[in-house]
Amino acid sequence: MIESMPTAPSPGTGLRIEGLSRRLGQRTLLAELNLQVGPGECLALLGPSGCGKTTTLRLLAGLDAASAGRILLDGRDITQQSAGERRVAMVFQSYALYPHLSVADNLALGLRIRGMPSKEREGRIAAVLELLQLTELRQRRPAQLSGGQRQRVALARALLRQPRLVLLDEPMSNLDGQLREELRPELRRLLCGGEQPVVYVTHDQQEAMGMADRIAVLRDGALQQVGSARELYERPANRFVAAFLGRPAINLLPASGPRQLGLRPEHLQPVRQGGIAARLQRREWWGNQQLLWLETAQGDLRMLVAADQSLPEQLQLGWRPEHELWFDSHSGERLAAL
Amino acid sequence: MKEQRLNSSWVNSLLMLPALVLLAIVFAWPLLDSAWLSTQASSVLTGLTPLANGGANWQRLLGDARFWQDAAVTLRFAGVSVALELVLGLAMALLLHQPSRGRGWLRALTLLPWALPTTVLALGWRWIYNDPYGPLNAILRACGAAPFGFLTTPASTWLFTVLADVWKTTPFVALLLLAGLQSIPAELEESLVLEGASPGQILRRLTLPLLKPWISLALLFRLAQALGVFDLVQVLTRGGPAGSTESLALYAYLNAMRFLDFGYSATLVIATFLLLVLLTALGWLLLRRRALEPSR
Amino acid sequence: MKGLLLLWSLAPLAWQLYTSLVTPEALVSGSVGTSGSFWTLENYRQVWLADPPIWRYLLNSAVVGAATTALTLTLAVPCAYGLQRQGGRLRWLVTLALLATAIFPTVLLFLALLQLARALGLANNLLALSLPYTALCLPLAVLLLRAAFADLPPDLEDAARLEGMNLPRRLRHVLLPLLAPSLASTAILVFLFSWNEYPIALTWISRPELLTLPPAIARIAGSSLFTVPYGAFAAATVLGSLPLLLLVLIFQRSIVSGLTQGAIKG
Repeated sequence: MIESMPTAPSPGTGLRIEGLSRRLGQRTLLAELNLQVGPGECLALLGPSGCGKTTTLRLLAGLDAASAGRILLDGRDITQQSAGERRVAMVFQSYALYPHLSVADNLALGLRIRGMPSKEREGRIAAVLELLQLTELRQRRPAQLSGGQRQRVALARALLRQPRLVLLDEPMSNLDGQLREELRPELRRLLCGGEQPVVYVTHDQQEAMGMADRIAVLRDGALQQVGSARELYERPANRFVAAFLGRPAINLLPASGPRQLGLRPEHLQPVRQGGIAARLQRREWWGNQQLLWLETAQGDLRMLVAADQSLPEQLQLGWRPEHELWFDSHSGERLAAL
Repeated sequence: MKEQRLNSSWVNSLLMLPALVLLAIVFAWPLLDSAWLSTQASSVLTGLTPLANGGANWQRLLGDARFWQDAAVTLRFAGVSVALELVLGLAMALLLHQPSRGRGWLRALTLLPWALPTTVLALGWRWIYNDPYGPLNAILRACGAAPFGFLTTPASTWLFTVLADVWKTTPFVALLLLAGLQSIPAELEESLVLEGASPGQILRRLTLPLLKPWISLALLFRLAQALGVFDLVQVLTRGGPAGSTESLALYAYLNAMRFLDFGYSATLVIATFLLLVLLTALGWLLLRRRALEPSR
Repeated sequence: MKGLLLLWSLAPLAWQLYTSLVTPEALVSGSVGTSGSFWTLENYRQVWLADPPIWRYLLNSAVVGAATTALTLTLAVPCAYGLQRQGGRLRWLVTLALLATAIFPTVLLFLALLQLARALGLANNLLALSLPYTALCLPLAVLLLRAAFADLPPDLEDAARLEGMNLPRRLRHVLLPLLAPSLASTAILVFLFSWNEYPIALTWISRPELLTLPPAIARIAGSSLFTVPYGAFAAATVLGSLPLLLLVLIFQRSIVSGLTQGAIKG
C-alpha cells in the first residue's frame, strides 16, 4: 500500500525551523522556535490551547507571516514564499471541505487552478479516491458524509497535491473516541515513512504518543522539550512537561526548600512500613485499574493500582527511588536525581 | 508579489476604496455643497448663478413662519409615527416569531407594504381616503354615518398621513425586531418558563431587555427617515391643507423646483440635516446611557 | 390575531386590485351601471395604451434596477471582504460611516445631486441614475455582505490559499458560491430600493418617456388633483407593484432571512 502513495518526487532533507517567531502587536504568539523534522518523520506539536502550536502550523503553511526566523524545506528557504507556492498540504480541524462541491470536485479544484491537464488530473484523483476507499462517495457533497468520511476526503485532498510537507491541525478532534483510535494506524500508514515530513498538532497526549515519532511540547509560545514519548515521560525537562504528560497527572509534593518532588500516581504503591502515612478518601474504578485519592501530611495524593488490589483505610505509601522526579521549586526545571 | 507579505491593511483599504469614494461623492459632497450654497443667493433673480450673500438665507430662515410650521409638522410627524411604529412593530414581530405553519408566507405578505413603492401606495391611500367614494366612506355610509373628509381639515389630514406612514413602515420595524427575537436563544425563555414566569413577565424581564439594541437601531433608523419624510406627503397631500402636512424636505424641494430658489433650498436642507444630527445624537446618547446602566 | 395582521397589511392592496378591475359606475355605486357590466379590463387597456404607455415606465425602472443591482454588488463585494478582513480603528471608522449613511434620509441629497447631474450632463440619463442609487444602496449592501463573509468558516479560504488561489480565484471558486444566498437577498433589496426611489428620479428625469415608475405615477396623480381617474390609477399601481410582489413572494425566505441574518451578525 505504501508504494502506491503519492509522494514528493525529489529526495528531501526534511524540514528545518530556525528562530521562528510571530508577534502580533505586543503579544508574542511564538518565540524563537527551533526544530527539525526529518523526511518521513512525524512530529507532534503538543500543548494546551494558546500555546503556539496552531500558530506554528500556520507559519509553516504560509497562511500567516513570520516576524522573524527561517523555514527551510528540503534545503530551500521557503519563508518568503506564499502559501500557494510552498507545496504544503494541510488537513484542517474543520476539514475545510468546500461545501458547494462534490467530493471529486473538492479534489479537482486545486489541480484545475494549477492548470493540470484533465487526463492527468482525473487519473490522480481516481488513484487517491481508490487509496482512501472513497470511490463510491465521489459524487457526494460534504454535508452528505460522516465525520470519518469527511476526514478521509480532507486527507485525500492533502495527499493529492504530492506535498513536500504535510501539516495536520487536530485532524481527529471532531471524531468520536473509538474512531480516533482506529484511525491512528491508518493515518500513520498513509502519511508517515514517505519522503515528506509530517507535523501534527494536537492537545491530546495520547494521540500525540500514538501518532508521532517525536513530540514537541509548547507552552505560551515557547518550546519546552522535544523527544520521543518515552523520553518526555521518563525524563521531562520541567514541571510543566511532567504535569502535561501522563494521566492521571503527576503528584507534586509541597516544595521542601529549593526542591520539589514529583511522583506519578502509577509509581506509588502500598508498603508495609516506612513511607508516608495515608488515609483513603475515595476511589474511582477504571475497569482494570483503580484510582485512589489519599489524604497525607504531604497533601492529597493520587495513586493508580490494579483493580483487584484491596487496600485498608489506613496505609503506608512508598515508591522506588528511581521514579522520583525532582524539580527546582522556583524555575520548575528538572534536577538530576539525588 | 507574495500575498501574505503585503501589508494586509493596505490591500483591505484598496478593496474598500471604490465603494468609499462613491459614498463620499454621493453623501459627503452634497452636504458640503449645500452648506456652501446656503450662504449664496442663487435664484431666478440671480439667474441661478451663486452670489455670496453672507447669512441672508439663514436670517430669512429664522424669520420664516412657514419654516417653523414645517419644522413643527415634521417633528410631530416623526415623533408620533415612530412611536406608533415601534409599538405596533413589536407586536407584529412577536406574532411573526411564533412558530406556525406558513410562517414564511405570513412574513412575506406582512412585508409587502414596506416593499412596494411609497408613491404608488400614497396614491392608493388617497383613493381609500376619498370623499365620498373611497372605501372608508363606503363603510361609514353602510353604518349609517355621514361621509367624512379625511383629507380636508388640517388635523385629520395630518392624522391620516401618519396612519398611512405607520401602515407602510411598521413591517420594516417588525422585521428588524424579528431579527432581534431570533437572536435570543430559546433556552433562555425555556428556563424562565421552568421557573414559572408568565408570558408578560418573560416579555418584560427577558425579551425587551435583550431586544434593546434592535429597538435602538429601529428607533434611530426610523427617526432619521421620518425626519426626512417626502414621498408620502408629496403624493398624498402635497403638504396641504394649509401646510398642515408640509415637511421640511417638501419645503426644500418646493423652493428648489417650484420657486427656483436654490440658495434658500440649500439652507433648508442644511437646517433639516442639523436637526436630524441633533436628534439622532440625542437619541443615541440617551440609549447609550440607558444601555450602560446596570440592569436590575 | 394573524387574520387581523393580514387584513391590516393586505386590505389596502386588495382594494387597489378591486378598483382596477371594476367599471367607474360600479366603483361609485357598488352596482352595475349604464355600461351594463361590473368587472372590466378597460382600466388596464387604458394605461397600457397611454402615451407613454405604462410598460415604458416599468421597463425604465427595470433597466435602472438591473444596472444598480449589478453595480452595487460589484462594489460591495470587495468592500465587504476588505472590511471583514480589516481590523482596528479603520474597521470601526468605516462601519460607523456605513451605519450613518445607511440611516441617512436620502431626500436631503437631492439638491446637490441635481446640480451635479446638470454639471456633468447626467440629467435625463437612465443609466446615470444608477450611480446615485448604487451609492445609496452600498451601505446596507456592504453591511449585509460583511456579515455573510464573517459567517464563512475561515478555514475554507485558508485551504483555498494553500491550493494556490489568489483573491479573485478564491472569490470566484470558493467564497462567492457559498455566499450565493446572501448575494441573492442583497440583490433583491437593492432592486427594491431602486424600483421605489422617488426624489432623485423626480429631479433628474424630466423627459416623460424616461421616467421611472414612482415619478410617473406621481406625475399622473398630480396632473388632475380633483378629477382623478382612480380606476386607471389603480391599474397602474397594480402593474407597478406586480414585479415587486412576485419578487417578494418568490424570494420571501431569502429576503426575510437575509435581512434578519445580516442584522444579527452585523
